[in-house]
Amino acid sequence: MAAPTMKERQVCWGARDDYWQCLDENAGDSSRCQQLRRSFESSCPQQWIKYFDKRRDYLKFKEKFEAGQVQPSESTANS
Amino acid sequence: MRWEEVYFWGLQTSPSTPFRKRVYHKSIRAMLLLTRGPKAWPRLSLLKPPNLPRTLNDGTLCERAQHFSGRGPAKTVRQGQPLGPGLRTRLLITALFGVGLGGAWLAARAEKERQRQQRRTEALRQASVGQGDFSLLDHHGQARCKADFQGQWVLMYFGFTHCPDICPDELEKLVQVVQQLEAQPGLHPVQPIFITVDPARDDTAAMARYVQDFHPRLLGLTGSAEQVAQASRSYRVYYRAGPKDEDQDYIVDHSIAIYLLNPDGLFTDYYSRGRSAEQIADSVRQHMAAFQSVLS
Repeated sequence: MAAPTMKERQVCWGARDDYWQCLDENAGDSSRCQQLRRSFESSCPQQWIKYFDKRRDYLKFKEKFEAGQVQPSESTANS
Repeated sequence: MRWEEVYFWGLQTSPSTPFRKRVYHKSIRAMLLLTRGPKAWPRLSLLKPPNLPRTLNDGTLCERAQHFSGRGPAKTVRQGQPLGPGLRTRLLITALFGVGLGGAWLAARAEKERQRQQRRTEALRQASVGQGDFSLLDHHGQARCKADFQGQWVLMYFGFTHCPDICPDELEKLVQVVQQLEAQPGLHPVQPIFITVDPARDDTAAMARYVQDFHPRLLGLTGSAEQVAQASRSYRVYYRAGPKDEDQDYIVDHSIAIYLLNPDGLFTDYYSRGRSAEQIADSVRQHMAAFQSVLS
């Protein structure tokens, strides 16, 4: 299976970005982004879809981590 | 009678004469005066007792001796001899000696530095030939090794063609660096190289298809699994193919860096994902300006 060309990559990335934007707008509710999800899945190799899904999870987790983390100065006041 | 007038077989003493010698002369003088008879004995009282603690300044020593011996400040040999020219001479000699020592030290240090540089140059010369060598095929099918790029600055990236986003991004950045440097007159063109860490799928045809999307001079290198492994080891690149899915597709996990090689073929610098194209171009320019070949 040949690797995607530059054009195919860009189509895939565009579809991914659209899908992610929809998710952002709907606060992660994927039920309202089904159309874009299908478009995303048809544009990208399966491995890439898995990869991008994991990447999205990681980015979301990172946001939560950086926002919800207790500030170090509060917990280590005496050190 | 002043002490200067007491000659002892042609020998003269002065305040700069070492204490030891002066004691010798004094004792001889004392004996001489004794032998001259009672008329000379009053002169004995003019002589200082030699059993005094040594100090640096014999002028004041003698003055102190005056007080210890109970004699008043009458006409004595060394009264009022302050820090005389003797001290200045001594200080000057010490200073000259210090300067001489300092100069010798600096010269020795410069020599040591020169030898260290020489050893380093020799080590680099050996490394430039032996280290980081690779034996791969370019995307035209031609065999290439590191020596082929001697005389050129090289920016290298390890990746694979099935890469979702990182490799295209990094290659795009690498190409921007090359273009920025190309735009600068007077600089030699930098050779961009892309080496695959997925030789199973990335044959020369796949590499040719891939590199054409980025830059006309981007050279794709591939080879057998052993050749790629050897090249990756040379540059400490980690890579590992992930699990295959139903399509037999897989993603290769690998370390991400752009490597800079100088015209001697020596590894010079590396740039991680966080560096922008402008930062990398600046760094390459600095290395170019500072470069001195060890092979010539």
